Amino acid sequence: MKFLIFSEDGSNICGIATKLRDNGEVYGVTIEGEESKCLQYGLKEVYALKGRPMGDNCFKALNKIDLTNFDRIFISSSPLGRDIAGMIASSIRSIVITEAFDFHLEGENIRTKRFFFGGKTILEEESSAKVITVQPGSFEPEKVDGNTPVTMADLEVSSITLDQEVEKERSGTDIESAPILVSIGRGIGKKEAIDQIMPLVEAVHGELSGSRPVCLDYKWLTEERQVGLSGKKVKPRVYIALGISGQIQHIAGMRGSKTVIAVNKDKDAPIFQECDYGIVGDLFQVVPKLVSALKQ
Amino acid sequence: MAINIVVLIKQIVDIDQLKTDPNSGEPLIQNIPLRIENLSKNSIEAAVQLKEKNGGKVTGIIFGTEKANSAMKEAYAMGVDEGFIITGYKGNNPAYTASIISNKIKELGNVDCVILGNQSADSYTGLLPGLLSTELNMNLLGNAVSISEEGGRFKIKRVLDEKDEIISAEKPCVISVTQEINQPRLPPVLQIMAAGRKPINASAAGAGNFETPKIVSNIAPKSDRKRQLFEDMDKGVAEVAKAIRGEMK
Ligand SMILES: Cc1cc2nc3c(=O)[nH]c(=O)nc-3n(C[C@H](O)[C@H](O)[C@H](O)COP(=O)(O)OP(=O)(O)OC[C@H]3O[C@@H](n4cnc5c(N)ncnc54)[C@H](O)[C@@H]3O)c2cc1C
Ligand SMILES: Nc1ncnc2c1ncn2[C@@H]1O[C@H](COP(=O)(O)O)[C@@H](O)[C@H]1O
Repeated sequence: MKFLIFSEDGSNICGIATKLRDNGEVYGVTIEGEESKCLQYGLKEVYALKGRPMGDNCFKALNKIDLTNFDRIFISSSPLGRDIAGMIASSIRSIVITEAFDFHLEGENIRTKRFFFGGKTILEEESSAKVITVQPGSFEPEKVDGNTPVTMADLEVSSITLDQEVEKERSGTDIESAPILVSIGRGIGKKEAIDQIMPLVEAVHGELSGSRPVCLDYKWLTEERQVGLSGKKVKPRVYIALGISGQIQHIAGMRGSKTVIAVNKDKDAPIFQECDYGIVGDLFQVVPKLVSALKQ
Repeated sequence: MAINIVVLIKQIVDIDQLKTDPNSGEPLIQNIPLRIENLSKNSIEAAVQLKEKNGGKVTGIIFGTEKANSAMKEAYAMGVDEGFIITGYKGNNPAYTASIISNKIKELGNVDCVILGNQSADSYTGLLPGLLSTELNMNLLGNAVSISEEGGRFKIKRVLDEKDEIISAEKPCVISVTQEINQPRLPPVLQIMAAGRKPINASAAGAGNFETPKIVSNIAPKSDRKRQLFEDMDKGVAEVAKAIRGEMK
């Protein structure tokens, strides 16, 4: 079988390639500058696209590589990836499975798992899907010997123009690899309250993460720290949820944690259904007590 | 410029009220009320704001069932001018949905932009923006947190992992929005009453020959959490500190 993997982030190609490489020839497509990240994972060839990537011109470039040549096309899920997946879906009349976090090839078919009903259920499907979007971080990348050759290809000029670009402040943290996460929700009330949480983060040698409103609406934390269905999927040894109600879209991102601790002043908060230890109370009273208990 | 806007509205079961069977994990869908999908509401709000600013018309399309009237009335109350319900929706099948909706949009003609959610809150598919842009041959401006129009060009701001971008394209455009774009309005009572009297156009979807995946299972993931709840703060803190210390070794 022949597989194609697309991601604008070269590192997202590695895990999917690792999963696929024993089943056939795997080709990768990424953006110029990203290709170096995925050359040690047993891919047959990597195409690096030169130019400013938008949905339309990436789709055209993929068509030039000739999508009909491949048995299956995997796209790492991202805003760009999903736009392209939709475009491909309309050009090759096939079932498309989106947001898969696990899959198995079953002869001519593929078995996939994804969340459904906003994260309340896991939907397992079997289909002949030719296009599958995959959640980043779903498969562990493993290197192999040898180096993948790179082919450069040009992106056409997009009909979308970039008028302005604002680089974002990035702390370069990687909450997915932190052994302990202290995660904050709307319950902390204001950005300044983070100062009161930091002693706990330090006491557990952990990292700070947060719910979607904290990272996206209020921007108290940067987006790379968002946990959830539309954020990072984390599996720390300990996940400490402070002032997070535990909506299903949040749970979907931290379900893999080993031990979950929740602090919430509402006894009926849904997070208490998804925790190992729950303390009902004001987080601003609980956190200092916990810090001093840990220091003893 | 007065803008001819189409907004796509999905009706879903209220997933916030949805429970799963504690034993089998099956979703208990019976008797769960229907409501407008989250991102569709953001889309309506974005469409109505765009019309309020530039003039024009907002046309709502629901590919749904006979039960979609309530959703369209709510959309009217929020400011949608005319609504089309296409019945025959049987479930999540993006390719089929896109073909039904794009046929309707072509039939309407003269559309400047199609506004829809970037990923619906229940199925979380996110394919319709790309599908529709190809099928309607419109430029795709994806994941907007703000939309404006100037001289026949649409401009959006979008938030990516590493940067924020302002991008623009010539009309007609498909514009997908994220939930951060706005806070959907709660329409006043008078508007809701007026909306109830407004006619809704209805038609049935033509059959489509689209394969669907076979569902192996659709159940809640198992949770083996201990669920030890402490209302006594000091006792809770002691237990939690012990558990954390155990994991820090
Ligand atoms: C398509 C879609 C995708 C989404 N993706 C994500 C995602 O990836 N991640 C995510 O997190 N959300 C996501 N959401 C949003 C999600 O539905 C919830 O809105 C969000 O998780 C709520 O965040 P929160 O728990 O911080 O806030 P709230 O729900 O407002 O909860 C705040 C909690 O703090 C408690 N509290 C208040 N004060 C205190 C105090 N002093 N001490 C202790 N407790 C206190 C309250 O009792 C409450 O339970 C998504 C939604 C949709 C529709
Ligand atoms: N059946 C439908 N009828 C009308 N609009 C829909 C339908 N399904 C999806 N949409 C729109 O498309 C957006 C993205 O949906 P999806 O691509 O299915 O995740 C939703 O937020 C809606 O705006």
